[in-house]
Amino acid sequence: MIPAPQKHSYALGPGVVAPAMHPEYGRAIQELNNVNYPKAGGQPFVVDAGHGVGGPHQHTQYPYVTGTSVLALKYKDGIMVACDTLGSYGSTKRYKSMERMKPVGKFTLIGASGEYSDFHYIMKLLDELTTDDYCHDDGQNLTPTEIYNYLTRVMYNRRNKFDPLWNSLVVGGFHNGESFLGTVGMVGTCYTDSHVATGFGAHLARPLFREKQYDDMSEDEARALLEDGLRVCYYRDKNSINKFQIAKVTAEGSTISEPYALITEWGYEAFVNPAAAAVGTW
Amino acid sequence: MSSIGTGYDLTTTTFSPDGKIFQVDYAQKAIDNSGTAIGIRCKDGVVLGVEKLVISKMLVEGSNRRIFSCDLHAGIATSGLAADGRQIVNRARAEAANFKNFFGDAIPGEVLCDRIASYKHLFTLYGTRPYGVGTLLAVYDEEGPQLYQIEASGVGMRYFGTAVGKGRQGAKTEIERLKLSEMTCREGVLAVAKIIYQVHDDAKDKAFELELSWVCDESQRRHERVPADLHATAETAAKAALEDDDDD
Amino acid sequence: MFRNQYDTDCVTWSPAGRIHQIEYAMEAVKQGSAAVGLKSKKYVVLATLKRAASELSAYQRKVFKIDDHMGIAISGLTADGRVLSRYMRRECINHSFVYDSPLSVGRLVLQVADKAQVCTQRSWKRPYGVGLLVGGYDKTGPHLYYNCPSGNYYEYKAHAMGARSQAAKTYLERKFETFDDATLEELIKHALFSLKESCTDGELNSKNCSVSVVGLDTPFDILEGDTLKPHIDALDAEDAGAMETDTAPAAPAADAPTDEAAPPEAEEPPAAMES
Repeated sequence: MIPAPQKHSYALGPGVVAPAMHPEYGRAIQELNNVNYPKAGGQPFVVDAGHGVGGPHQHTQYPYVTGTSVLALKYKDGIMVACDTLGSYGSTKRYKSMERMKPVGKFTLIGASGEYSDFHYIMKLLDELTTDDYCHDDGQNLTPTEIYNYLTRVMYNRRNKFDPLWNSLVVGGFHNGESFLGTVGMVGTCYTDSHVATGFGAHLARPLFREKQYDDMSEDEARALLEDGLRVCYYRDKNSINKFQIAKVTAEGSTISEPYALITEWGYEAFVNPAAAAVGTW
Repeated sequence: MSSIGTGYDLTTTTFSPDGKIFQVDYAQKAIDNSGTAIGIRCKDGVVLGVEKLVISKMLVEGSNRRIFSCDLHAGIATSGLAADGRQIVNRARAEAANFKNFFGDAIPGEVLCDRIASYKHLFTLYGTRPYGVGTLLAVYDEEGPQLYQIEASGVGMRYFGTAVGKGRQGAKTEIERLKLSEMTCREGVLAVAKIIYQVHDDAKDKAFELELSWVCDESQRRHERVPADLHATAETAAKAALEDDDDD
Repeated sequence: MFRNQYDTDCVTWSPAGRIHQIEYAMEAVKQGSAAVGLKSKKYVVLATLKRAASELSAYQRKVFKIDDHMGIAISGLTADGRVLSRYMRRECINHSFVYDSPLSVGRLVLQVADKAQVCTQRSWKRPYGVGLLVGGYDKTGPHLYYNCPSGNYYEYKAHAMGARSQAAKTYLERKFETFDDATLEELIKHALFSLKESCTDGELNSKNCSVSVVGLDTPFDILEGDTLKPHIDALDAEDAGAMETDTAPAAPAADAPTDEAAPPEAEEPPAAMES
């Protein structure tokens, strides 16, 4: 009889598995600290060698398969989120059909950039919470703000353990007639706004949003603006592909579109000789 | 049963000379004195029903449930000490979550039954008291719909239909008359409601609430409360059937 | 010599399928002074009678704030009640830290009940000797719960616990159907009236009584002393007017036996054992 691992240990805070339950912590700390050499001789198998001899974790310091920017904005009926479907392995365009937006409950949607497996882990945490709500069956389900705040706690708590979840997340939702949009970074940085974007999007797409987004815009306007944002990100971000999904959350719940491509134009003067107009660059 | 006063019935860690653990029997007694819980397996799912005795008219309707979900696809009806029952449900939820976390898929009925049974069994081994709860477990997994009963002793078995609590004898007789393999859950709900009303002892216990849940194709294989309209229909039909019987 | 072998710890079932230690713990609740709780569609009111250990001592607090949206009234062992209130406060604070929202009343009560159950199944523990009336307001409206040492909990529209609470309960049972649309003032009045039924000498004043309110746009607040006085005065005024008509034949005579005397063994199996 193995006691169930406590995903939300009070001692360690949200999103952290208790040491005894965590294969890494449990083994690594208790056994590898006084390294177990195989009885037959030879080197022990260690995933994270630095840690085995008392050094810090190192294998958590790099992301492996990553997704790029997620863009999102509020509009008349709720919120709209968009991103491409690429999973990069370093600079390699390794996986081309990864869904980076997932619904949580009926009225919340999470979009993730960064480490894909960490995103899976985060979804697992949230699935446990929604299953818990389902089991209680008391009409109280997590609201978008609660999920957002929970994630800020998880991300910040993990960074305090020097074991961050390598993601920037967008949390969007629509509940009780109000739309919600927020973003959480890998070290727990967070803010809510009428439009948000992670990664490159924060620099490339948000300037467009600042000019054109307003909370009462129609669905078509919102979609057009998001596509402008996606296009500009695709032009300038090498770790992106022309295969996008757009999701929305309204009073009816959340829907995620099938992937589709945008029409792009590569013949611009600036693209041919990008440094010409920028004095001082080469 | 010459148990009282012998000294062989004071702890779970004592066998009597004829090989019984009386503490387990006594725990079973608590279950036998409690509101009836019924489970039947129909062709497209499982239906659970509980006679929840109401101790005060000032209680909020529908509070203090005796049927719980322990995962999306699994539900538990308890009979006996309600507080003990919740611990079993908590354990079942933890087991289900643990299994999903580890294997990435919903826990099969057989495994969940086994885990709950082992957990109950643990409490018959050490210096604690056995759980005073009878548990009916309804699961719909890849194997199809399944019904299990787990007793205070830690015995878990699979059933087509079963009952625990005060009215179990009468209820079991009625269940045996049903053609479970030809029945849909919609029909099953009506049957369960009728049986609960039938076995309810008006002389001893006055007020009770009927609790019904199912996990079936109609509920997308999720364990949930029976829809309000069907619940109402079943309750009216059960009351009507009871009055017909009284007239005869 | 073998008076009752089955009642000295909570890990022994009696041959009848009861656990006497739990039932005795429930008796401890009845030793505490009375507390009542009731709710409308918008508010929950808790009211308690306080006792003073001596002429020179202060009255023992019986109502505790848990969070802005929740509070409890206790009856029985005050020390046990304080442990549980500290636990509840911590859970509420943790929840608002993690989710930035108030903790659901029902879910907290469930946690407390589960905590209480564990104490009924370990040889090195004893059940809590305290009953809690939990009043709170959350996403799903106002709620009133009663938490029992047995690990059971019940959601009530109105309830009373503690010494001579049967009299208060009788009052509430007569009136609770009218509470739904009652104003806050009316609720407080009903709370005080019912509490009065449980009063030893019929004396209810702003010193030996405290009332708490919580509800829609109303953070948990305790009325006692000067803030309670107007309500008590209003009560006395109304009482003087209504004296001849109805309240008099209340109930105390019929219910006295359940509170005092009668060894627990002789009683009906308490509800807690049942389910």
